[in-house]
Amino acid sequence: MKLLQLSATDLRKQLAGPGVWLRTGPFSLKVQSKLPRVAEGLLELYGQFEVRDPNLAFADFHVEINSPGLLRRWFRPQVNFSFDGEQPFKPLPLDQAYPMLEWGLNWCISMHAHQYLIIHAGVVEKNGLAAILPAPPGSGKSTLTAGLVLSGWRLLSDELTLIDRKTGLIRPLPRPVSLKNESIPLIREFSAEAFINRASHDTSKGTVAHMRPPKESVRRQHESARPGWMIFPKWTADSPATLTPRSKAQTFMFLAQNAFNYSQLGADGFRVGTHLIEQTECYDFQYSRLEQAITTFNQLADRALDSNAA
Amino acid sequence: MLRFQIKCFGDEAVVFDTASGDTHYLAPLTYALYTTSRKHPEMNACEAPVKLARMFNVAADASFTKLTDEAMSSLQHIGLLSRL
Repeated sequence: MKLLQLSATDLRKQLAGPGVWLRTGPFSLKVQSKLPRVAEGLLELYGQFEVRDPNLAFADFHVEINSPGLLRRWFRPQVNFSFDGEQPFKPLPLDQAYPMLEWGLNWCISMHAHQYLIIHAGVVEKNGLAAILPAPPGSGKSTLTAGLVLSGWRLLSDELTLIDRKTGLIRPLPRPVSLKNESIPLIREFSAEAFINRASHDTSKGTVAHMRPPKESVRRQHESARPGWMIFPKWTADSPATLTPRSKAQTFMFLAQNAFNYSQLGADGFRVGTHLIEQTECYDFQYSRLEQAITTFNQLADRALDSNAA
Repeated sequence: MLRFQIKCFGDEAVVFDTASGDTHYLAPLTYALYTTSRKHPEMNACEAPVKLARMFNVAADASFTKLTDEAMSSLQHIGLLSRL
């Protein structure tokens, strides 16, 4: 059963009661919340995701997002994120309830799913090959990810690239794409198909909203992808779309420093990471116009398809 | 398991030290010094810049010798090279 088959009333009741069980990529979640904003966010963004009876199905992560107490419901209302009854973060304003759920879920996965090497990077796929987009905040990674998935690339993940330690393949985790500040109107203008939920303002990242993952990406969320490219995007005003090859060894060092759990994995993190770099072409990528960036990515994917056919 | 796991990418390499959990980057000169010292264990500190300069097709002048000394120090610091 898909989440969109639940009525809004049933979803709210389940969320406030036993919780909603959801499957996202390789993980199952149980989410509980009495907040209408959380129900609204799930309805708008997770409609295509599988749900099951929360009383019967096992869940990897049990999370709750609720107001801390009676007083805080009325005076500067706040929300708390709980994982297995613990609160790993300070409360945030009520307006940030939905993004806090997404951030909290990212935290749950990056802190616990050590069967994967987890890189802080967007990742998209075309013609069977995945492009990993690691980049610091403000580099235009999420905007580019959103643009690509609205142009025929499959969304594997917006934030967390999961490298399966056994197979070296990338496991999809196609959750909503987090957009910030100028990216929100830019993506709305870029595609009429993009559904972006209501924005939360004054967060630590500025204004934040989430884009619904494409139906096809969710449908294929159990199909792993082979790593093809590691591309470091950087939005630069007036720059033509330019790919520049970069050192593989230095790309590995970036990965080692920026993966969430490289140090926890020890020698196996090194093995998985070096194998990943060995398989991928590594580039720096400067761009200013999303359309040009997408053309460049399509050329890469077409070239890979041609060389596979040859 | 060996203490050091090394993976080369072209003329550079990365090294994982299983004893400390640290990961190191070896730039082309450092990696060349490491491989040369493994190939020629008899090589001494004075011969190293000469051999490497020949490999990189540059003059073994004072500045190159200084770069080689720095590469040697970094390999010694990591533990990949005992004193030549």
